[in-house]
Amino acid sequence: MAKRLFLAAALLAALALAGGAWAGVTKGVSDTTIKIGQWGPQTGPAALWGAVARGTGVYFQMINAEGGINGRKIEYFLRDDAYQPDRTKAIVKDLYENVGVFGFASGVGTSPGMAVMPYLVKNQIPWVGSASGSTHWAYPPKKTIFAVYPNYPDEAKVLVRYALDTLGKKKIGFLYQNDDYGKGGLEGAQAEMKKRGLKLAIEVPTEVMDTDLSSHVLKLKEAGADAVVLWLLPKQAAITMGTAAKLGYKPQWMACSTLSDAPLMYKITKGLWKGVIFGNFAELPDSDNPLMVKYRKAQQEFAPKERWGVFFYAGFGFVEPMVEGIKRAGKDLTVDSFVKAMETIKDFQGIFGKVTYGPDRRQGIRQVFLAKCEDKGQAKRLSDWIDAE
Amino acid sequence: MFSQLIISGIAIGATYALMALAMVIIYKTSEVLNFAQGDMAMLSAFVAYFILEDQGLGFAAAFPLALLFAFCLGAVLEFGFLRRAKEPTVLGLIIITLGLQMILYGLASWRWGSDQKNFPFPVSDFEVHEILPGAVISDLNLVTLGWALLLMLLLFAFFRYTKLGVAMKATQQNHVVARIMGIRVNRILMLTWGISSMVGASAAFLIASTDTLDPNLMWNPQLKGFSAAVLGGMTSLPGAVAGGFILGVIENLFGGYVSVEFKSVVAFAVIVLILCVRPSGLFARHYVRKV
Amino acid sequence: MDMKRDYYEDIRLLDSGSQIFWLIALLAVLTAFPFFASSYLIYTVNLMAINVIVALGLNLLVGYTGQISLGHAGFFAIGAYGTLVLMTKLGLPFPAALVAGGLISALFGFLLGLPALRLEGPYLAIATLGFGLTITQILGRIDYFGGHMGLQAPPLSVFGIEVTGDAGRYAVIMPVCVLLAWGLRNLTKTRVGRAFVAIRDSDIAAECIGVNLTYYKTLAFAVSAFYTGVAGGLMAFVLGFINPHTFNVMISILFLAMVVVGGLGSVLGSIMGAVLISWLQIELNRITELPLLGPLLEQISHSVFTISGLPNVQYVVFGLIMVGIIIFEPLGLYGIWIRTKLYWRTWPF
Repeated sequence: MAKRLFLAAALLAALALAGGAWAGVTKGVSDTTIKIGQWGPQTGPAALWGAVARGTGVYFQMINAEGGINGRKIEYFLRDDAYQPDRTKAIVKDLYENVGVFGFASGVGTSPGMAVMPYLVKNQIPWVGSASGSTHWAYPPKKTIFAVYPNYPDEAKVLVRYALDTLGKKKIGFLYQNDDYGKGGLEGAQAEMKKRGLKLAIEVPTEVMDTDLSSHVLKLKEAGADAVVLWLLPKQAAITMGTAAKLGYKPQWMACSTLSDAPLMYKITKGLWKGVIFGNFAELPDSDNPLMVKYRKAQQEFAPKERWGVFFYAGFGFVEPMVEGIKRAGKDLTVDSFVKAMETIKDFQGIFGKVTYGPDRRQGIRQVFLAKCEDKGQAKRLSDWIDAE
Repeated sequence: MFSQLIISGIAIGATYALMALAMVIIYKTSEVLNFAQGDMAMLSAFVAYFILEDQGLGFAAAFPLALLFAFCLGAVLEFGFLRRAKEPTVLGLIIITLGLQMILYGLASWRWGSDQKNFPFPVSDFEVHEILPGAVISDLNLVTLGWALLLMLLLFAFFRYTKLGVAMKATQQNHVVARIMGIRVNRILMLTWGISSMVGASAAFLIASTDTLDPNLMWNPQLKGFSAAVLGGMTSLPGAVAGGFILGVIENLFGGYVSVEFKSVVAFAVIVLILCVRPSGLFARHYVRKV
Repeated sequence: MDMKRDYYEDIRLLDSGSQIFWLIALLAVLTAFPFFASSYLIYTVNLMAINVIVALGLNLLVGYTGQISLGHAGFFAIGAYGTLVLMTKLGLPFPAALVAGGLISALFGFLLGLPALRLEGPYLAIATLGFGLTITQILGRIDYFGGHMGLQAPPLSVFGIEVTGDAGRYAVIMPVCVLLAWGLRNLTKTRVGRAFVAIRDSDIAAECIGVNLTYYKTLAFAVSAFYTGVAGGLMAFVLGFINPHTFNVMISILFLAMVVVGGLGSVLGSIMGAVLISWLQIELNRITELPLLGPLLEQISHSVFTISGLPNVQYVVFGLIMVGIIIFEPLGLYGIWIRTKLYWRTWPF
């Protein structure tokens, strides 16, 4: 049944393609250009993550300066959705129908992504590298959607495993933001504990609105957690650290990759971030990885005023697999050839972990590595890339 | 844990109280709910940050200059926008403040971006005193608390004993009659906005030093300050401060013992219940209007 | 010619022949629209129509009855969740679920109307604001409603006909919108509508002449909540995915802005306000792509502001437009419309 459905879908897709592109021309692709769109909050409460999209822009500028991909220059369209799903949907429709883009790169946020996913699936529009670790993108697999960001549950498993095995902690507390982002991390942590017949010592939810976290921290303290995993936004994490310092509570803090911008975290916590162990999905900012060196140079050339923070260069990393796929698809670039090319990507490594796709695998990366914050927000690498499973 | 929850509640309540004071001052004279209050304060905090970090001046220069900026900002907004409104209705004025909020928010994020910044402050939040067994309070909390109470007393005295303060009260009660009595109502309103903006800015400095400085800094404190002001009766200065403390303590106790998830909304439930019994808040006299 | 000569003219739904003509013309345009417009444009109009429904409902409360509400996002959420849950969990067909969702919302409106009987001004604002916040918090807590993960909209079918695409949704949304606009216009011309206006102008006087305050104030809340709930139910399908975050305080405030910018106490005003604000919401993010203005803004960003913060200019423009309209015309867009009409009518004098 499923097979037949898939066949029918493939047939429909082929028809749609043939109908929409009778001369064999793919939407958004010409001999010299390829149009790629992106949504991302540049304003509003989530504007902090806007750096991702600006990073992608610089990455494309760098590629164009090198001569483009297979002789095609990238035309890049970035629109601000302010993290409002209704606006995201408008942007995606406008870019696809009126501007005519080939596909979408990255794009921040779970709810904006969820609002546009059915449309992308229905019209078979490629979308690679959502800047959100939600599991919705890759499970179940959808033909044209490729996830890059390691899932939140995977990352939580790695963190908890490290706390139990390497640090020898017994009671683990979990402080999370009460939405799919935080709940995703919580699920992973619970699963890892359950595998060992253990339980989290305490789970404390926070709301995005909360700016007073004293009762939250007191709860963690009362439960006597000796390691606490933070699944929060930077602001809440900073408030948590400050409150805990005031109340004299000093567990081993651990944090998810959303908080992996160590220099920023060090600064806004007034130095309290020192000693925190956090997950990373991308190389450290001062890494001497040749790609990182190259990207840093591109940033200095095209956007010298931007801060070289992890979310800025993550904008490069989220899109690396897409560029690789377009490269592999060759001169004859269509949605189908692109998807086929993407599926051949195996153990591809840019500045993120190893990316692997396959006919039924759409989750590119399942590894993270851990680092510890040292003096002045310098991060020290604690491990190599760790697989979640 | 109980005593710590109470103390933390009072400490956070003090910041709500400051924002509530700022809102009450404007409401007292013009019955306008000022939605721009928080972002006026946020912008002033950014100006202080700019003077401290970019110009490299010390606290002694930065804070007074930023407060002066806050005063001018408040006065200019009143003079340039609210006063210009033709045949204003209260709701129309509220929407104007909403528009102003957007403009200020846009300008601040346009200038300083959305990255969180560390707001330096001369008093530490980590130097603590154990005032009850197992319960601590930080220097910064004490400063906030003292500042809120001091401001309340000063403003209270100002409204009761100075000529200007009495003129402001008169303006609130009846614009037309106040004008007939020789009070320059427009000038009074402008002054009110300036003073209120300064109070708000001082709250923003204190909040930004424990929180992080970014354009969304004052959104939540503004809502809480607004709630505290309503709880206290919207026109009463001691009421606003008491409202802030009550709100802070209720939130923390509820968060500590009942449910952390509903911590931030329980305050509203309490307010609705209290308003059902006392429709004009705890500390304001309920006037029954006549036809 | 605007003079009302007798009572029957006052309560007539449409004032003159030319109004009937324009109404028919408008309906014709609305009917023909999906056949010519692009899917993107239809989507935009769908959003506008939904906001129009909310603005109509809120205007009944704010403009006609004189009550303020900062919690309409709550009713919006109840309608959206109600409709989806009734369809997916209880298997109700869409039309029934939509109406039921609206009715559930109306029930909550009635309940909120009870404490509102004693409150006014800022007190009422805080009470309603708290309601909006609490509803989303509760919805996020209950896993039956999808919790914080949100809910996906099921396939939409109306009376057995499968509805797909934006044009299809337009065919569902626009009739509902027109019907509700007509219903509101009708309501305001009846005894009930006049009772609302009497309450707005002076509730004590209204009570003296025999308007039952308890009944009419809660009724205004319930009807307003019904409109917003229905709009929420439609919104769930336009978005295809909802979670509590979708219904934040900011949209409650935007709803209020629509009503005031459009013009208090006027159906046409609500429509204009909702259309303008939704249009600004969607299109303003392209302001930096405009010729002339775009490069100019970029210049300013480089010299005074920062280039990465440039998109925030949309807030400044949005705010300036809102402030400008209210400063120059207390009745909002409706006031401007009346003024223009008068100008042409008396032209060249």
